[in-house]
Amino acid sequence: MTAQRDGDAGGGAAVELQGVTVGFVSRRVLTGVTLRVPRGGRLGIIGPAAGGKSVLLKVIAGLLRPDAGAVRVLGHDLAAAREREVAAVRRRVGMLFQNYALFDFLSVGDNVAFPLVHGGAPPEGIEARVAARLRGVGLAGSERKLPSELSGGMKKRVGIARATVARPELALYDEPTAGLDPVTTSKIYDLLRADQAETGGTCVVVSSDVAAVAGFADTIAMLHDGRVRWVGPAAALFDADDPLVRSFARGEEREGAAVLARAVAIEPPGAGVWS
Amino acid sequence: MILQRTLTTLGARSMAVARDAGGVFVLLLEVLRSLVPPSMDGRELMRNLYKMGYRSVPIVVLTALFVGALMVVQLAAFVKQFGATALVGWGTGYAVFREVGPILIGLMFSGRVGANNTAELATMTVTDQIDGLQALAIDPIRYLVVPRVLAMIVCLVALTVIGDLVALIGAMAMSQVVLDIHPLTLWYSLVDNLSTADFLHGVYKSMVFGAAIALSSCYFGLTVKGGAVGVGRAVNAAVVGAAVSICFLDFLMTYLTA
Repeated sequence: MTAQRDGDAGGGAAVELQGVTVGFVSRRVLTGVTLRVPRGGRLGIIGPAAGGKSVLLKVIAGLLRPDAGAVRVLGHDLAAAREREVAAVRRRVGMLFQNYALFDFLSVGDNVAFPLVHGGAPPEGIEARVAARLRGVGLAGSERKLPSELSGGMKKRVGIARATVARPELALYDEPTAGLDPVTTSKIYDLLRADQAETGGTCVVVSSDVAAVAGFADTIAMLHDGRVRWVGPAAALFDADDPLVRSFARGEEREGAAVLARAVAIEPPGAGVWS
Repeated sequence: MILQRTLTTLGARSMAVARDAGGVFVLLLEVLRSLVPPSMDGRELMRNLYKMGYRSVPIVVLTALFVGALMVVQLAAFVKQFGATALVGWGTGYAVFREVGPILIGLMFSGRVGANNTAELATMTVTDQIDGLQALAIDPIRYLVVPRVLAMIVCLVALTVIGDLVALIGAMAMSQVVLDIHPLTLWYSLVDNLSTADFLHGVYKSMVFGAAIALSSCYFGLTVKGGAVGVGRAVNAAVVGAAVSICFLDFLMTYLTA
């Protein structure tokens, strides 16, 4: 399956996954995942909880090596690369983690400055860039605060600022708007869109907010039980041929609930309740 | 059936201990590899030196003071019985420098600093902060572990030296009170009968104990599994591992240099 933006010649893919399979001790999380994101593309990944979305992002970031399959990111085969080569690719990638992953021993300003300081950016411009980035996510003047002093939504925004401050060629966002109100959600996606327009970078977004991510991404992939169930243009998601995908995207009660129930390995309630 | 179950449990425990010992050894090799060429985050090193060393001074001073005094209280009965006042300084200094100082301060350091270090690293692990570092192309061993290992070794040596001196002050004070021995008498007994090697013996031990505490606490912190509950288990395992390591290494070093 291919997540390819209209107009892409097919030459420069930012991310190419071929038959990626990942398993942990007790279970297989991803099975034969094949996806392609062209440079400058915006891929949204949706699907029920525990469907392997976050694991997929970690594979793309080079944090997990697949048990089988090929992972090509920004022209490098991460599945076979040595650690030094993987680290070199990571410097060109920004990542927002689902639970922020802010360094709690550093201030907000130091967290956001971290990729610049350790990425070799000129020291004189770092403070201004950090201030501008924090202003962009609506947290101007919070440089000296510690992560423990912030709410969940604010931490998320600091995480976005840190992921994007170095203007990465590939940005990976795991639930960038979870826990945020609709207005802030809209602002965050506007910010991501503006960033991408400015840098021409590639975005991969994992989100449970189907409507928001469909409004941002040009291509959507749905993961279900660790497999790619559907890939297509975001505009076609809500009218997808696959009834399971369609009902999940629309949040329709009966089939959507069944999808979720299977994902968390519980029996769906009786038909009478859901009909 | 009971025998089989006992053997199975024993086997599983042995495997777990062997796995952890192997893991600590691999971590040691990774730390050594990261030191060539020597490069680390200076701010992280200074932060850890302050947190682990400077802030541990009050508790070490308090403990050492009582330990020195306690040594004299224990010796008092024999000293009075045999009139061996000239040996109080030697006895106290020998015990404090070679054994009591390094072991007691090492165990205290493990409980205060080692446990805290494990909790910090374990929390970073379960909240994806270690992955966050790797995602930013930062090697967690070089950035987090190496400064902590160096800081713990330096701090434990410094704290042991401070503790030794304070323990002697406690001993001097107590010998004046309990045995009516002038502090200078105790001091001369100490310098006349002990050599620099006795003092350095304890310093070498504290260096090794510092490395053992650091590696144990970092290993269990970085390999934690199971969220917040796992953090508690990791701290427990690190403290137990460090205590056992300290006793074993102390025996080994004492035996080999006897």
